[in-house]
Amino acid sequence: MELVASAIRLTVPILLASLGAVFSERGGVVNIGLEGIMIVGTFFGALGALKYGPAAGVAMAAAAGLALALLHAVVTITFHVDQIISGVALNMLAGGLTRFLSILLFGMATQSPGVPGFAPLSVPLLRDVPFLRPVASGISPLVVLAALAVVAAHLILTRTVFGLRLRAVGENPHAADTLGLNVYVLRYSGVLLSGVFAGVAGSYLAIEQGRHYFEGMTQGRGFIALAALIFGNWWPVGAAAASALFGFFDALSLRVVVTGVPYQFITALPYAVSILVLAGVVRRARPPAAAGRPYVKEEG
Amino acid sequence: MSPRVRLTVLQAAAPLVALLLGVVVAAAIMLALGHDPVATFALMASFNLRPASLASIAFKATPLIFAGLAAAMAFRVNLWNIGVEGQYYIGAFAAAMVGFGLRGLPAVIHLPLTILAGVAGGVLWALPPILLRLRRGAHEVITTIMMNYIALALVHYLLADVFRDPAQAGTPRIRTPLLAASARMPGLHDALALAGIELPGHSALNWLLPVGILLCVALALLLSTTRAGYEVRAVAHGAGAAEAAGIPLDRVHLMMFAGSGALAGLVGLNDLLGFFGYFDVDFPKGLGFLGISVALLAKNHPVGIIFAALLFGYLDRGAEGIQVFSRVPREVITILQAVTILAIVVAYEGVSRYLRALRTREAAVPGAATPGPEAA
Repeated sequence: MELVASAIRLTVPILLASLGAVFSERGGVVNIGLEGIMIVGTFFGALGALKYGPAAGVAMAAAAGLALALLHAVVTITFHVDQIISGVALNMLAGGLTRFLSILLFGMATQSPGVPGFAPLSVPLLRDVPFLRPVASGISPLVVLAALAVVAAHLILTRTVFGLRLRAVGENPHAADTLGLNVYVLRYSGVLLSGVFAGVAGSYLAIEQGRHYFEGMTQGRGFIALAALIFGNWWPVGAAAASALFGFFDALSLRVVVTGVPYQFITALPYAVSILVLAGVVRRARPPAAAGRPYVKEEG
Repeated sequence: MSPRVRLTVLQAAAPLVALLLGVVVAAAIMLALGHDPVATFALMASFNLRPASLASIAFKATPLIFAGLAAAMAFRVNLWNIGVEGQYYIGAFAAAMVGFGLRGLPAVIHLPLTILAGVAGGVLWALPPILLRLRRGAHEVITTIMMNYIALALVHYLLADVFRDPAQAGTPRIRTPLLAASARMPGLHDALALAGIELPGHSALNWLLPVGILLCVALALLLSTTRAGYEVRAVAHGAGAAEAAGIPLDRVHLMMFAGSGALAGLVGLNDLLGFFGYFDVDFPKGLGFLGISVALLAKNHPVGIIFAALLFGYLDRGAEGIQVFSRVPREVITILQAVTILAIVVAYEGVSRYLRALRTREAAVPGAATPGPEAA
């Protein structure tokens, strides 16, 4: 049960970022800058929590993620620059920016002082069962939020006008445009949502998991989130299942003594799995048809 | 100004304007920190003119030339090799294994073998993504990113659990045994002394720099004058049309991506064979991602890559200078680089859009321009 509880905690950041990736890619924009956005999220999460408490930390991380995602959106959607290039530049910018701001605001290049977290929640009755105690107590409110976000994201994509239009734009922007949808506005929304999610994912790492910010604390989880997106076949529930699997591997790799397998192999597992999924070994991957392609509205 | 002339001017001006934008942003940050930007950049310029700095800039530029070339070769044919990072890690570790594993060989055999191992490691790590792309349609962006992480995990495992230097047991140092002297890359001191240039004694500048520059020139000639180069350029302009014209698309993609991996295998050798002489857990990371930036800045042109790599080396060395001498955080320069890259891709996109508009206009007016091969 300790392992399960640890797996849940490690699932949340991957899950939140991969939900963001679902919105971005469903709208047709690949965002490999998620890693960078998450890094910025860890920094601003710690900063906000330090100054005004954990809720402010999450809000600041979300705002910072939004700002960085806006940059990605402007460059890729308005200026039609290749989405991969923009993402690479975004990751580079995030690295320099956080280090710089950390020196400026924390007085240290690579870490912050300790920050306060949320008061943990626990489930009445269940928490008194010794076997269930690890999973039924000490729950971060963000874990609950992440679980609700999966359901919300699924409903938004399948039941709302916005979700259906977003998917249309990701599959066939020309047809969507012909039908009178504003491709640019919809794609902007998808990318901005991904920024908010990835920012919050970062803040979870800093506020709830690390209780302070340190450089490199994302450990490539932004990229793992993309792997979860692929494994989950670009659906929120699938992404959640994949994130849970990867979170479990993550928890397992921390228990190297128990398994006896070199932890590096367990660390590499999510990456290997996503390559196999993409190669169609596990099953057929079907990304949104227009993901990765800039949409240029015909002029005249 | 005729449209053609204006286009040439635009193409030349684009990198400069982007760099200027990066400088302006960096200057604004320096101002906000209470530093005088003009004085800081002046300090950077004078610091970088010291002999030790010039040698350092050339040393820092060396791996970036290989990394930039590696990225550019794949980008040229519209394949996104984001995996230069992992490929050079595997390549450098393979080279290290040959370097410390073989003993008693003369340098004329050992050094080429070591380099070859680096190249082989790079190719090995580039093959799965490109084969999966060509055979199963798996997008190489994601697979190469994943391969980067697998490379890192694999190298750490090999380093810590398999090839750790027994002499370091009981110490916290995790590294391979020292490479044999016969596998080390000789420095440039003697050659430069012949030309009357005195290289600072501690400089690690080595023969990989001239090798890298020659490779750039050779690849530029290969691309512009040979049949294979023509095929590559045809695929770059339009894969569909190239295939219709009988160019074996898959073969060109495979060759260019494997070539990209081979070049990536050389990236880590500057530090491994020219400086450290062993591979440890702190072996330089991130050169592959910098290579992507270098390739973007040079618009994938092999000769442009030399200058872009030198510019990055210059900025990196300058960042150290301003950090030490005026307490401006060096990250300001990282931000400058990132802003420049974002600006340059937007600027190039603008130029190529202008080019498209120009061609459409020329096509619309019969006889306005002599139709060249590209206009057809």
